[in-house]
Amino acid sequence: MELNWNIEVYMNIFMVAFLWVSIITIFIYPRIRKIKSLFYLRLSLFMYSLTLLFDVFAFLYLNLLFSILGGYATLISTFFLVLTINYLMKEEYYSIPLIITIILAALGFYLGTQPGAASIEQGAGYIRVGWIGSFGFVCDLSTLVFMLLTFYWGFQTYINAPFLIKREAFIFLIGANIFAPISVISYLLLSLNPVFVLISNILFIVSLSCMIYVIIKEPKVLYILPFNVHRLLVKDKGGFPLFDHDWSESQVNETIFTGFINAVQLMSEEVMNIGGLLDINLREGILILHESQYISVGLVASKSSKLLRDSLVNFSKDFEMKFKRQLKKKSNSLSNYEDAIELIEKHFSNFPYKIIKDKTHPLLLSAKFTKLPSQLENKLKTIFPDEEEFLRIKSELIKSPSCVPNEFTDLYDEIKDEINVIPFEEAPLLNEKKSEEE
Amino acid sequence: MSENHIINIKDFANGFGLEHPSVQKVIKIAENIVSQNKTLDVETLYNRAKRILQIPRKGLLRIIQMLINRGILIEGTKYTRRSVLNNPLRKTIYFFIKENLGAHFSDIRKNIFTPGDEDDLGSAGQFIWHLEMLLKFKYIKKIKVKNFTVFIPIEVSDKVGELYFILRDDINREIVELIYTSGPLQRSDIYKIVEEKRETIYYRINNLAELALLEIDEEKGNLIHINPQRKEKVSMVLKDFRQAEENLIELSANGGSE
Repeated sequence: MELNWNIEVYMNIFMVAFLWVSIITIFIYPRIRKIKSLFYLRLSLFMYSLTLLFDVFAFLYLNLLFSILGGYATLISTFFLVLTINYLMKEEYYSIPLIITIILAALGFYLGTQPGAASIEQGAGYIRVGWIGSFGFVCDLSTLVFMLLTFYWGFQTYINAPFLIKREAFIFLIGANIFAPISVISYLLLSLNPVFVLISNILFIVSLSCMIYVIIKEPKVLYILPFNVHRLLVKDKGGFPLFDHDWSESQVNETIFTGFINAVQLMSEEVMNIGGLLDINLREGILILHESQYISVGLVASKSSKLLRDSLVNFSKDFEMKFKRQLKKKSNSLSNYEDAIELIEKHFSNFPYKIIKDKTHPLLLSAKFTKLPSQLENKLKTIFPDEEEFLRIKSELIKSPSCVPNEFTDLYDEIKDEINVIPFEEAPLLNEKKSEEE
Repeated sequence: MSENHIINIKDFANGFGLEHPSVQKVIKIAENIVSQNKTLDVETLYNRAKRILQIPRKGLLRIIQMLINRGILIEGTKYTRRSVLNNPLRKTIYFFIKENLGAHFSDIRKNIFTPGDEDDLGSAGQFIWHLEMLLKFKYIKKIKVKNFTVFIPIEVSDKVGELYFILRDDINREIVELIYTSGPLQRSDIYKIVEEKRETIYYRINNLAELALLEIDEEKGNLIHINPQRKEKVSMVLKDFRQAEENLIELSANGGSE
């Protein structure tokens, strides 16, 4: 039997190979291997590779069944892509596009069993096997949903990307939003000229390469959309803060945040066991609390997530292990726990920072690294002999209007006599002591 | 390019620390930008560091990100009237001043820094710092009454603030209330009704007269009456104190019944 070799068959074989390499690439990188949404992406890509593989057989053997199976694989591929995007954007599966996709798939599966779902015809200079009629329309519609969702995903990722990974998000945008639609349009123009299959496939390869490159290099792009991680606070059992870390500005009030941690610490035995997790829903987000032997850790995020909870538990375990000696000694000096940043980098490395909103956002050096005029520095050191307090005030001072330091020292000089004359414990009014002496 | 400017792949894999020469150089560059009174932002820091250190983009961005993560580069928006109240202690001081009109420096400090907590909340210097910030951002203003510095909300007039300060004292209030309800009285009559030492009462009356709250009518045998120009305000402030006392009694009665 003579096989029907043509340019489309060669391209499809190449594309199948490329897709399988891509799937393996996503799978072998340890940093991204366990990301759940990428599991669905791998399934989607695999189903798409089956579409192409079935097409190869359909073309080679001029077999309608293979063509219809290719259509089915397209419908399933779109279904998995919708799952991928839903999970990446909201960390949940349900969405209206998912319903549409399921309806389309059900319709497509039915129409594929009906006569006239595929045909053999002369087109683009060679004999092609393709979907036709209603089945063809549903499969093309599914491809369109595929394209629109990819477009939306890339666009949203770019718009919401913090500036530190904006460049990566831009490459992702190019991959998802420019090449993908052009590639699909080229595919739809295939019937006019076979050169479009070449363009379509090359663009698809470039598009997917861009996206996979960004995902491997900067997996943070996958965590831009599902939730915002705001802040993590570690407290010891005495309620002393040991470590504080911010990812982005939180709407959760400081008093509420620390208040909940304190409250849970007080009643931890009734509310949660050691090692227990508690989600507290607040209007502005969610507070996830984890209680362990020596510490309580609170994490504020825009919504709860299994990933966040797991990261929090692992962070707490490592924190206790790393600082066991200090915790046993009940040391509550913040400086003893500064190295906990390494644990943040270990357990929360995929969550993007959003504190600095853009590259022109004003920055300051922290108090420790800020130099004040020596006269002012000396004066402040006499007012604040305690180093920690001095740094705390200095960090406020550098964010204050320039005249504040002088006005503050003037006010201090003016009131300091009042501190000395009127003892702290007793502050009688209107010179009563003097009157009694008189 | 000198050797210690180079950040190699291994550095990325292991995570580089603050002591890394390139990180130290980026901090130095940031210090220079600040010392030149120029705006420090990521773009300026990145461009200057890139030019001087010739570190690859990714490495330099990671250094900047690490400096932000570790709180060495901090968000640099200057305080605004709104954000200045984000400090919880400052907010507490402000609300205390608002709810306790006429409180003076030591009074506020005594109530905010309950003895024993002073170490946690900070020194007198820190307390004055917060007051300065509240003054600067026009939440409060200060008035001097005798030797006392009194802090009042910006919207309260100096004269009313002074009245609240004077009448926060129980003995002063009792004297003024007595004269307000009974009409002009002699010093000795006041002393008989207010159960305090004679010299205390006489000293307070003199003080209140000095502060132009009371007037001593020598023509009418040293009869003491309230300064007519301040009578209306005195009435308002006394009413306010009475209301506060009633609320307190009601509150403690409810607490007791529970």
